[in-house]
Amino acid sequence: MPLEDFAAEMDRCSQCSYCKWIPFDQVRSWRFAKNCPSVSYYNFNSYSARGRYAVARSLIRGQSGYSDTVRDIVFTCMTCGSCDVSCKVCRYNLEPLEMVRELKFRLVEDGQGLEAHRAIIQSLDREQNTMQRPRSGRGDWADGLDVRRLASEKGKVLFHAGCRLSYDEDLQQSARAAVDLFRKAGVDVGIMGEQEMCCGGRIYAMGYREEFARFARANMAAWARAGVETIVTSCADGYHAFKRLYPQLGSGVQVLHTVEFLARLIQEKKIVFRLEVPMTVTYHDPCHLGRQGEPYVPWDGVEKKIKGQIVVYEPERPRYNGAWGVYDPPREILRSIPGVELVEMERIREYSWCCGAGGGVREAYPEYSQWTAGERISEAIATGAEALVTACPWCERNFQDAAGTMGEPMQVYDLVELVQKAV
Amino acid sequence: MALPKEVYKALKDIVGSENISDDPALLDSYRYSLAHTAIHLGPYYDTFTPRGAAVLLPGSTGEVQAIVRLCNEHKIKFKASSTFWSAQGYPSEDDTIQLDMRRMDRILEIDERNMFAVVEPGVIGATLQAEAMKVGLNTHIAGSGCSCSVLAGATSYFGSGPSNLYGGWHYENLLGAEWVMPTGDLFRIGSLGSGCGWFCGEGPGPSMRGIARGFLGAKGAMGVFTKCAIKLFAWPGPESLPVEGTVPAYRVSLPDNFRAYTVAFPSWKAWADAAYLIWDTGIGYLAHRQFNMFGRELKYAMVKILTDPSKTLGDLEELLEDPEVQRVTEASKRDFQIVLAGMTPRDLAWQERAFDEILARTAGWKVEAMNQPDVADWSLLYLLRLGHKNLNLVFGGSYDGCFGLLGTADYGTTHVEESGQLKKEWEEQGAVVQAGGDCTMGPIGGQGGGGTCLWENFTCFDPYERESVEGTRALFDAATKLGLARGWGVGMEKWNAQCRGPDGRTTPKEERDRIHLSAPQPSVFRYQHKIRRAFNPNDLGDAYYETLDDEAD
Ligand SMILES: Cc1cc2nc3c(=O)[nH]c(=O)nc-3n(C[C@H](O)[C@H](O)[C@H](O)COP(=O)(O)OP(=O)(O)OC[C@H]3O[C@@H](n4cnc5c(N)ncnc54)[C@H](O)[C@@H]3O)c2cc1C
Ligand code: SF4
Ligand code: SF4
Repeated sequence: MPLEDFAAEMDRCSQCSYCKWIPFDQVRSWRFAKNCPSVSYYNFNSYSARGRYAVARSLIRGQSGYSDTVRDIVFTCMTCGSCDVSCKVCRYNLEPLEMVRELKFRLVEDGQGLEAHRAIIQSLDREQNTMQRPRSGRGDWADGLDVRRLASEKGKVLFHAGCRLSYDEDLQQSARAAVDLFRKAGVDVGIMGEQEMCCGGRIYAMGYREEFARFARANMAAWARAGVETIVTSCADGYHAFKRLYPQLGSGVQVLHTVEFLARLIQEKKIVFRLEVPMTVTYHDPCHLGRQGEPYVPWDGVEKKIKGQIVVYEPERPRYNGAWGVYDPPREILRSIPGVELVEMERIREYSWCCGAGGGVREAYPEYSQWTAGERISEAIATGAEALVTACPWCERNFQDAAGTMGEPMQVYDLVELVQKAV
Repeated sequence: MALPKEVYKALKDIVGSENISDDPALLDSYRYSLAHTAIHLGPYYDTFTPRGAAVLLPGSTGEVQAIVRLCNEHKIKFKASSTFWSAQGYPSEDDTIQLDMRRMDRILEIDERNMFAVVEPGVIGATLQAEAMKVGLNTHIAGSGCSCSVLAGATSYFGSGPSNLYGGWHYENLLGAEWVMPTGDLFRIGSLGSGCGWFCGEGPGPSMRGIARGFLGAKGAMGVFTKCAIKLFAWPGPESLPVEGTVPAYRVSLPDNFRAYTVAFPSWKAWADAAYLIWDTGIGYLAHRQFNMFGRELKYAMVKILTDPSKTLGDLEELLEDPEVQRVTEASKRDFQIVLAGMTPRDLAWQERAFDEILARTAGWKVEAMNQPDVADWSLLYLLRLGHKNLNLVFGGSYDGCFGLLGTADYGTTHVEESGQLKKEWEEQGAVVQAGGDCTMGPIGGQGGGGTCLWENFTCFDPYERESVEGTRALFDAATKLGLARGWGVGMEKWNAQCRGPDGRTTPKEERDRIHLSAPQPSVFRYQHKIRRAFNPNDLGDAYYETLDDEAD
């Protein structure tokens, strides 16, 4: 939807600033009440969803033009979607997250993208990953794993490792662990190995819509060739791309995050825990698995008014407000591991604080990205937990880096690693 | 117009380069749409408050003082705001510097024994309430909701809400305060000024609360408040709210010493009698005619939507056809919500008995559908935290109040039907939401907990549609006319018309004088004129501090 089509929303935004806070009902302290990393860090109104509506209006009306400040305002948005949840506690006819995404697309289309992002896109074109690493090394993480390569064989279930897990040597044992667990549970899972390509989710969040579509189509074609019916990934960004974005381009493949699949296998007793993992942990909901992990519902409709001036849609428009994201499976897994005690942070589920790695921010604004992760580490520390567990390698990387910089002994795990410790 | 380079540089030296901007797009995020809510003038289609000359984010009282002194030196107007929900916090004249106070957001102290908190401007109702509850205390939250700055409500604007009944209006709760005067000098109000701490707004120490706040608040036109102490009151509930439910249908189940009731009455006289009896008996933690803001005909259907996470506004029409919804809607025509909170089980038992007796004497009833556990728990959370006030704008994106007359319970009940009827006729024309005419809402209890009610008739419209905005303004003009003809006075729809005009800028002086001279107490504005001359010699605020000079008569 072109930016101009959000003009009504720009005017209908009620300037209330709810998008700067977690849903107020859930506020439990002064310290952990904020939700939007960008306005919390940069403070000017323009760095909130509310402010971005106003900035977008100013731009489309030609009242202001592009500047370094405008680029910062637009690209410091993590597209974490926290504003969207808080806004929709009361509003049924605004889509602040969609608008912010569209604003990024517009800047990129107008040649206003960031240099740091452009470098990634250039490398992506060549190497097919966002890590600026050689394509040839993409499958190395799976060296020695007894698993089918679906680039040359057929298979129904595909494990997609994603760019971060394929290349981040510190983290990739969790990808190996996931495949191993599935295999031991009797799942005939395959991988694409060296032929795996970026899902495109991260570049979509940076504003590169066209490039995203190219990767999405290429991936969908590769899956079709291999006969893939179900795709499993441990990456929340990838999950969101496959689950919410690909269907818009025609994908009908079933999408599961590793935690959903593991929870099912544990429930079916195909994975059985034999060892204790004595540890107090807290769980971080990745934005793209939690509030943005709601299933895609196709909609092609128009706005209409009832009762004179009540704005509704014909047919009824799906409402993504974070209510139905993936929150319970990871918690069920943690509660089922012997010895693990789960203590919750204040900001959880749909109003979880972002890890700071999203929207191309980690790549372009490292200090701010680390500050955002640091805020979450502080929140985890406040629970008394020894470890912060998550279900996305981007979150894990950002947390590990921030904990290191802060000198905090907080351990950071992918949930799969704990499962593996216990089997 | 841009600020002179040397002034911008001097300001940058005060706050640091990351806390100042004059980028046009960024400045446009500090302009308020006058096609919008709670402006109490207009609404005016496609009109915005003027672009500021720069926005600054001061981080300390010292920085605020330095900025204000520099403004005096260069005769530059400035306007401070903390949470920016309403139009009066934005510049009304060109070349004004906007101060965004959000970086000063600490709760400096909660004095549990003396029951007050010391806060900076960026502290909002929700965060103060959450911290206060940890020590068995609570804060009053203005009707605008818990997103708003506590300090702004207490020092600078209005401050009335559902907990007036037990907690008092915010201006009554204002204790010691730190005020950067319009000249840049620092003034410590009340006991703070005599070095005795924050506990009192009057004395021992300079009793300047009225001077600094002015009539209904100085609205950012008379310097900057950087800290204030606010009175807290007892919270007989848990240390934090055990919230359950799926977004947005959050709800809270509290211990047995809480009750949230919706009650209704056979006549407006009975309604008013109940309000008086509540005040006389001294029961109740908060009371508000809240959900009627959706309109007499829509309110219960809206409650059904809001308490069911799978529903949306798209379900409204179907719900309105449901006979059960129609029955409850009919039964709750003349309603309000009340929360009882017992400090002890005996206290609650007594309040319950007293309340039942009030209902018996007034022939009122509890609206059972609203008192079912899930709905009552949702309503309880809604009223205690007041965190859903963006629902004011749920329908088309905009609302404003018409009539909105502050007075005794009888005063409101005399005009509610007639004003509702006028509004209903206008609703038929399509510019505003058809909600049943009576969308009157407001607190049951004002100053000192009782004595007054505020009756604001919510008018919901679409700020994006010219016909809707202009139709709303025509309705508001008709409301003013009716109010004057019937002797009720000018309603809320024109409250700010004496400060800001149709172009978003200060109303011409002749018009301001005319309005102030026709006010019930013009001498208030004459007195404020003298205060402004003495305290704001360079006149660096705007017309939101309302004055009437000696020449005007
Ligand atoms: C939808 C809506 C509903 C409302 N309902 C109510 C209601 O029921 N009851 C009620 O009392 N009010 C109500 N208001 C009015 C007003 O917004 C509130 O009083 C609110 O408490 C103030 O919050 P704010 O975000 O507007 O504050 P701000 O924008 O921070 O400012 C409000 C005023 O105070 C001044 N100010 C703020 N901070 C400072 C400071 N540090 N120093 C000097 N001046 C300062 C500003 O210039 C402005 O004039 C409503 C407003 C809206 C938009
Ligand atoms: S998506 Fe996240 S970072 Fe962007 S405006 Fe919303 S809350 Fe802020
Ligand atoms: S985006 Fe939503 S929450 Fe934010 S100011 Fe606008 S209406 Fe309010």
